[in-house]
Amino acid sequence: MTGSFRGRLADRTSSRWVRLASQYAAVILAALVVNFALPRLAPGDPVDYLVPPEAGTIEESARESMLERFDLDGSGWQQFTSYLANVAQGDLGISVRDGRPVSEVVAERLWWSLLLVGTAVAVSTILGVALGFAAGWRRGSRRDVSLLAGVLAVDALPAFFVGLMLLLVFSVQLEWLPVYGAVSPEALTGWAWIADAGKRLVMPAVTLTFVGLGSVFVVARSAMVSELGEDYVFMARAKGLADRGVRRHAARNAMVPVSTVALLGFSTLVGAATVVESVFSYPGLGSLAFSAVRARDYPVLQAVFLLLSLIAIGANLLADLLYPLLDPRVRRAGSR
Amino acid sequence: MVTASLASAAMLRHRITILALILAFLGVALAPLAAAQDDEEVVVRVGLHAAEKNLNPFIVPQALPLTHDFTMLVYDTLFWSQSRLDPEPWLATGAEPSEDFRTWTVTVREDVRWHDGTPFTAADVAFTFEYFAADGGPGRYGHHVYDHPVFESASVIDDATVQLTFQDPVTTFKLLPGGDIPILPKHVWEGVTDPRADATSLPVGTGPYMMVDYDPGVSYRLEANPDYFLGPPLVDRLIMPVVRDAQAAFAGLQTGELDFVTRNLPAPLVPRVQENEELSVITGSRMQSLYLMFNTRKPILRDPAVRKAMSMALDVQAIVDIVEGGLGRPGNDTWTHPDSPWAHPVGGHQFDAGAAGAMLDEAGYPLGDGGVRRSADGAPLAFTLLVNAAAPPQIRSGELVAEQLSAIGVDITVEPLDAPAITAARRPGPDGPPTVEMFIAVFESHAHADPDHLFFFFHSPGRGVGGIFSGYANPDFDAVLEDALDAPIDEKLTLIGQAQEIFAAEAPAVVLYYPDGRWGYRPGVYDGWISDPGHGVFTKRSFLAPYAAGSAVAEESAEEPVASEPESGEDSEAADSEPAPEEAVTEDSAPEGADASSTDAGDADAPSTASTDGGTASDDAGTAAPAPEEAAEVDGDADADDGGSGGAVTFVVVLVIVAAAVAAFVVVRRRGREGTVED
Repeated sequence: MTGSFRGRLADRTSSRWVRLASQYAAVILAALVVNFALPRLAPGDPVDYLVPPEAGTIEESARESMLERFDLDGSGWQQFTSYLANVAQGDLGISVRDGRPVSEVVAERLWWSLLLVGTAVAVSTILGVALGFAAGWRRGSRRDVSLLAGVLAVDALPAFFVGLMLLLVFSVQLEWLPVYGAVSPEALTGWAWIADAGKRLVMPAVTLTFVGLGSVFVVARSAMVSELGEDYVFMARAKGLADRGVRRHAARNAMVPVSTVALLGFSTLVGAATVVESVFSYPGLGSLAFSAVRARDYPVLQAVFLLLSLIAIGANLLADLLYPLLDPRVRRAGSR
Repeated sequence: MVTASLASAAMLRHRITILALILAFLGVALAPLAAAQDDEEVVVRVGLHAAEKNLNPFIVPQALPLTHDFTMLVYDTLFWSQSRLDPEPWLATGAEPSEDFRTWTVTVREDVRWHDGTPFTAADVAFTFEYFAADGGPGRYGHHVYDHPVFESASVIDDATVQLTFQDPVTTFKLLPGGDIPILPKHVWEGVTDPRADATSLPVGTGPYMMVDYDPGVSYRLEANPDYFLGPPLVDRLIMPVVRDAQAAFAGLQTGELDFVTRNLPAPLVPRVQENEELSVITGSRMQSLYLMFNTRKPILRDPAVRKAMSMALDVQAIVDIVEGGLGRPGNDTWTHPDSPWAHPVGGHQFDAGAAGAMLDEAGYPLGDGGVRRSADGAPLAFTLLVNAAAPPQIRSGELVAEQLSAIGVDITVEPLDAPAITAARRPGPDGPPTVEMFIAVFESHAHADPDHLFFFFHSPGRGVGGIFSGYANPDFDAVLEDALDAPIDEKLTLIGQAQEIFAAEAPAVVLYYPDGRWGYRPGVYDGWISDPGHGVFTKRSFLAPYAAGSAVAEESAEEPVASEPESGEDSEAADSEPAPEEAVTEDSAPEGADASSTDAGDADAPSTASTDGGTASDDAGTAAPAPEEAAEVDGDADADDGGSGGAVTFVVVLVIVAAAVAAFVVVRRRGREGTVED
């Protein structure tokens, strides 16, 4: 029995994989098109950055050769096809701002972004789930109402405001935390470097956690509330199972929707990080994109947007893959 | 099954506790390490409000307020500074023109070495001019050797003498290009075929500072050049993170993380900074201007009467008072900054809204429906004014301009855009003039110090950058400026004055005000800051003993009047959002730069050529300045940091625990599930 079960499962899985893969390929292609078009829709172009009007006139030929260096000459279609061809080969082009390979520029920033956003996602998920379950456990209780009001109030605060407040309290007043950057510019090494980086991560990560907390909390709370209304809970209570046991059962089931929200939160926070990174001069992808927009640095913008798209798509994929693991019903539906 | 997962949960809890203990222990052990660096040397942490690239002079971002002065910490010019009629010899010891002013014989110092140890010689000077001229591309520096004056050739006479020949007479060689072009090391650049390609390697210059580290877009580290020919700089190390956010930068100044912030100190922060005994304020002149430009190629704006009437309707004093809280001087109709040697001796602004209205009546623009004037063919006097959305002073100025012009029946719509969008609107299309009608932007000191700035910006399209700048065309004006190009300095001053009078009468542009600047700094860490006219405070002379020491005292007294300035609600609002993260483009630059003209004049005269040669002798007072008490203060700061780092380590520990808990959670769940499946 086990053998045939496994075989059928394999069949199902492979066709599911094909479907999944083609869906994701379509999404990635769409992302590539949008990422290519979006920066070019804004007025101005890289030449305006390289040679502003004050610096003198430029001949059309000089202009073309300047763009050629970045593979930005020719018609939009030509640029797009060569962009696709290059991306397929892993070549992201040359940054208009500093002439370095985009992959190098982006790689410098990517890890900081992942650290910042990863921390914020982890903390906001854990905190959100804990608070959400606590609030949902006794719906309408004083604890529920005050938690709901508190978290939603925090959620409504704009990130830049939270960032500035933290800055005022923890840097200016208490002088506990540094105000800028991801690491000290003073060439620390070893453990001192790590301690410094940790210190500088605190405020941006907390700010970003505030951004992500609300959605996780709300979903966790309502999932808990609805699980508690299920028959099995009623049954468990009837059997005389203690609160602790009931909570365990309900929490496990409530984790399913929460996991999706948490993973999707990852892509939201990557975007929100732009603001946080500007406030704290954190050298992530967000602040890179910010500077790139101002220079109309198409290659860098394309690469950052592509990366952000891939992160969002990846988070989605992970949610897709995790679902059957978390929810036996999905798993059984897939194998039936 | 329940028992199994309970057991594993218990185990997990156990592990987490152990992990937490280990990490907490590490944290305690590490805390002292974090702040364990503290030397005798003077280290100044400068918060840059914007900076990009590695100071490669071929690609430095255009017109960035910091660009030139930052670059000149690492490089040197032949003369310093371009903001004076008679600049002091710097790398040069002198320069003599031929009779026709086409050839300059420049003698250079023989005691100078490049940062890599190679001796600097006249051959480097020859190479620099040839190289910039050969590049021919657009850029901040190069155009002074191929636009005007056009460089022809260089011949090295000996190690200390070089002859530079130009196609045109160059009467102001010492200012430009002599006071502007960074001298490059021949042995480094010689083989470089594309000077624009490199934006990250560390520059080699002769300047007072060597760049030892550059983290693109994040920070710079500079170290004093111990062999600098004017004596070792007073600050041993400059650590310069880029902190674009204004609030973060000033928070850093207050906490002691930063000792100087290159961003203008906003008026509302002045009292806070003054309350803080560890902070001081200094003012300085950057010779900036915030101006309103008309696109004179547009039908109605082509009419000088319309432009002049608009200029006369503007109360520029009110604008500077409201926008900058008085920290600045009202614009002159003659364009050039009053501190520039090329300023019109009288200047002034003609403000008379009544006369402006009458002028428009007379010129054939009667008031029409809705209080808006119309031309003879019915076109309304309605224009769109572009301002940089990231520069609050520009937005406010634009709103005031709109308000003041509505009084004479001109309808202005202020449109804030991002800098590249404005640039695009200012750029002529492939078949037609730029679409912009009016815009507000900021000019840096170079635009006022350049003896030929009027020529470059306002000559008819075809020469200079007039073609893309304003489109202004007046044959008389052109003729005067063409004569001025090659004229000896005295005559040049007269001719430029004439051109300025035409300018004032026809108003192709109106300077709304000349922004003043003030900066906050920590005197306990370094107190040598001086104002170098046209350069502000963050400039090389602030770090050099012959200049820094004495002048610091003079500046201290100058700071009082600024400090006690009254502040209306508007000021605080005005300067509050000074932020305007600046980059690349001029419109972007939040106004800075200030006047301290009286004190400036004093310190500018002090160091003569003779005293610079004996620089090391006179630096005793300067070097002695950062003494024990400051060291103590630095200590205090370090301690404060120390405590914080302990807290941070705890936080890191918490994070790690959290991460471990997540991982454990997943594992437990999985194991539990596997159990279920088997069931």
